[in-house]
Amino acid sequence: MSSSEQPARTDARVSTGVPGLDSVLGGGLVPSGVYIVVGEPGAGKTLLANQLCYHQARAGARCLYVTLLAESHARMLANMRDMAFFDSALLPEGVYYVSGFRTLEEQGLPGLLELLRREVRNHNASILVLDGLVQAQEAAGSQRDFKKFIHELQVAAGLARFTSLMLTSDGPTAHPEYTMVDGILELRERTAGVRSWRELQVRKFRGSATLAGVHGFRITQAGLEVFPRLEARVRRVPPPDPGIYRVHFGIPSLDALFPGGLAAGSTSLVLGPPGVGKTMMGSSLLAEGLRQGETCLFMGFYEPPNRLLNKAASAGIDLKSWVDDGRLNIIWQPPAECILDVLADQLLSDVRKRKVKRVFVDGLSAMTQATPETSRMASFFAALTQELRCEGATTLFGLETPRLFGPVLDVPLESGPSAVAENLFFLRHVELEGRLRRLLSIFKLRDTDYDPTLREFVISRQGIEVLPPFSVAVDTLLTGLARHPGGGHS
Amino acid sequence: METVLVVDDEQGILEALADLLREEGYRVVTASHGREALERMTELRPDLVLTDWMMPVLDGPALIGRIRAEPAFQGVALLGMSAVDVSALRRQYPDMPFLQKPFDIGTLLKQVRKALDSRQR
Repeated sequence: MSSSEQPARTDARVSTGVPGLDSVLGGGLVPSGVYIVVGEPGAGKTLLANQLCYHQARAGARCLYVTLLAESHARMLANMRDMAFFDSALLPEGVYYVSGFRTLEEQGLPGLLELLRREVRNHNASILVLDGLVQAQEAAGSQRDFKKFIHELQVAAGLARFTSLMLTSDGPTAHPEYTMVDGILELRERTAGVRSWRELQVRKFRGSATLAGVHGFRITQAGLEVFPRLEARVRRVPPPDPGIYRVHFGIPSLDALFPGGLAAGSTSLVLGPPGVGKTMMGSSLLAEGLRQGETCLFMGFYEPPNRLLNKAASAGIDLKSWVDDGRLNIIWQPPAECILDVLADQLLSDVRKRKVKRVFVDGLSAMTQATPETSRMASFFAALTQELRCEGATTLFGLETPRLFGPVLDVPLESGPSAVAENLFFLRHVELEGRLRRLLSIFKLRDTDYDPTLREFVISRQGIEVLPPFSVAVDTLLTGLARHPGGGHS
Repeated sequence: METVLVVDDEQGILEALADLLREEGYRVVTASHGREALERMTELRPDLVLTDWMMPVLDGPALIGRIRAEPAFQGVALLGMSAVDVSALRRQYPDMPFLQKPFDIGTLLKQVRKALDSRQR
């Protein structure tokens, strides 16, 4: 078989120009493929198709956009005009809009098919968008006629080498004949209570494996942006062995509890109620890394960067100068509604781009509460920590426990980050001898010896200082309601 | 009565423009693409052709080219309209007026009148 006889689908993929979508599709659309994009009105189908057209036109391709809808081209373009991908200079040579409405009304599907074939040829188009497939379906005399239309369009796409996107509001459940096409992409908006979010799912894709499951996407002025589900693209390789490289907090009294340090690239969790000192502990870990010449990342959900820097400075931790010189980046995400994969993307992109060695994520509970997908948390964190380990970044997660005091220990050891963290620190407020004290305990540290005694620690203008073990016998410290076994003061 | 031929592939716009111009006292004929427009013109020579730019079968530029090449159509006023940036079209066709879609009724009627008047001068 000569090269000219090779089927079109062995060609390079057609990039959609939608960030994240090509990854979900295993590299992009297959040339000469016929795809259906299904979604309710407002789901983002028209935007996706236009984004693809302008992306392709920018690279020199010619795109034909055929509408069967009531919405005028002028209105559609007015909606696109503010989008970053839009470029009026690409009209009409790069992106050409025609209406097939009247042809469909007067000549039915055969007339429409003829129009599509002829216009693709006239414009030498490599991309064809048919916006309003449901109108074509309704105009079909029978299901058989509609199947014939799709089949003939596929034949035409193969012969004339154009890739086709057909947009419709009716899914394959309503029209089983859609399964004839090369791929089905579904866009949908979901709501839970007062919250809504957008999802994309590849229901069918001939030619290669795609990232399975549901992926979040958002629509901004940049257009559509897909955030492939982290769990679906996590590397299935063992993380690099950190060897002898160890990480310390730079707090002599704390580091003395585990002189061997934490394994580089490991994941640690510090649990504790609000105000107990998790942020200071994380800031100390980063400050020590920065002193060692490493690049660091602080991802926070509570204090905005200026307040955080002032708070750290009040405990003798100077982070501001490192922010100024670019070695420390602070990603601040107010604890509002969030897409987990957007956060993961922000975090991992920065880690990869700046070759970050230490990460502190302050406020995992904010992340958990801000997403509607709480059932994902365990697998999400497993994937996130795997990626961070593969990048060789030592990560500390701060996880807030809801209870300030009391006999119940809120340690979610069986799920989420606790299950995947190699090292676990537990901070607690404790009332002892009429004074509120801070208490630190190490629950587990992998591959290193540690002092398991319960320690009081203080935070002053000089930073954190872990005090020597209690000189008197004190029980039930971890409950927050400590008492001397014998009663009374020592 | 002056005759206006409106050419647009978007049925809704075509009908709306036709109704509007009829109400203003024009005789209106319509076509949904350039080839249909040329057929109409041979049946009934219009005073003005108001044409869209991106259309199937025969588009705006091709239609204008054919009208200008046909001696029988000399003197027919031309007015283009498009959703694409018409400033580029104005540079390409400096001797032809264009309406930027979307436009309001006042602008349309003014431009139609102006195009017809320029033909009579």
